Amino acid sequence: MKQLTLIDIIIFTIFLTISILSFTLYTTISGKPEVHVTSGGKEWVYDLSVDTQASFEGPVGFTSIEISNNRVHVHESDCKNQVCVLAGWISKPGEWIACLPNNVFILIQGEPVIAKEGEVDDTSF
Amino acid sequence: MTPHSNTRVDLVALFSACALFLSTIEYMIPKPIPFMRLGLANIPLIIALGLFSKREYFLLLLLKVLGQGLISGTIFSYIILFSLAGSISSAIIMLLIYTLFKDKVSRVGISIGGALGSTLSQLLISRLILFKEATYVIAPLFLFSGLISSIILGLAAQRFIVMSKWYQTMKEISV
Repeated sequence: MKQLTLIDIIIFTIFLTISILSFTLYTTISGKPEVHVTSGGKEWVYDLSVDTQASFEGPVGFTSIEISNNRVHVHESDCKNQVCVLAGWISKPGEWIACLPNNVFILIQGEPVIAKEGEVDDTSF
Repeated sequence: MTPHSNTRVDLVALFSACALFLSTIEYMIPKPIPFMRLGLANIPLIIALGLFSKREYFLLLLLKVLGQGLISGTIFSYIILFSLAGSISSAIIMLLIYTLFKDKVSRVGISIGGALGSTLSQLLISRLILFKEATYVIAPLFLFSGLISSIILGLAAQRFIVMSKWYQTMKEISV
């Protein structure tokens, strides 16, 4: 496009650099896999290898999560859009599910449990 | 206030109406992740640079935030904080870039700059009140989607400015 100027390119480069730099934040994740649930300003931590169920109360009702087989998902939520339930299962560190209407955030932290079997090395980025 | 102040207010109203209409369109598009949006309602704000005084521009901004809040039903929830912070910081940055560089920068650059301001301020609020430390996980996705959508919006706005005779006339009147 002819109308693009040098300033445009500079602004684009600044944004791109910040975006790429933000990826390096991922490498700070370490330790054994834990499920961190943030809700209403409080945080709960669950072991990903122990099967369990838990429920969190938020502005629109309850959001319940289920941990099973080293995976976690939102089992049921009282929110209208159900984005969190549709997000399905997550199992790798850095993966997350958010239920914005109910203010619940689920994040897996820690080293990957199985990173060998035919998987792309997720620690390399 | 100039002698034409009536037509000026009409122009602000017209732009706000456009923003409101585009918010409605935006609301109909399904979002993969709640925060990931195209930001269609920002197009009038990108185009409006150069037409309005700072006061009129911020009036338009306020109307856009209120309109968006009304349409998405988030006006009385904490989500309006994100909208407000994002819109104000992007407007300040866009005004700044436009004032500094005028015709040396296209609407694409202005749009990207605005998106950067909006994304960073929303990440900051997220860090403070919503996701706390977990914010760093959503940051890369949030930033990249902001970059891509702002390029699309910028191209649309730039095309409008170059093509529209109405805009050219309006610009001559407002100078």
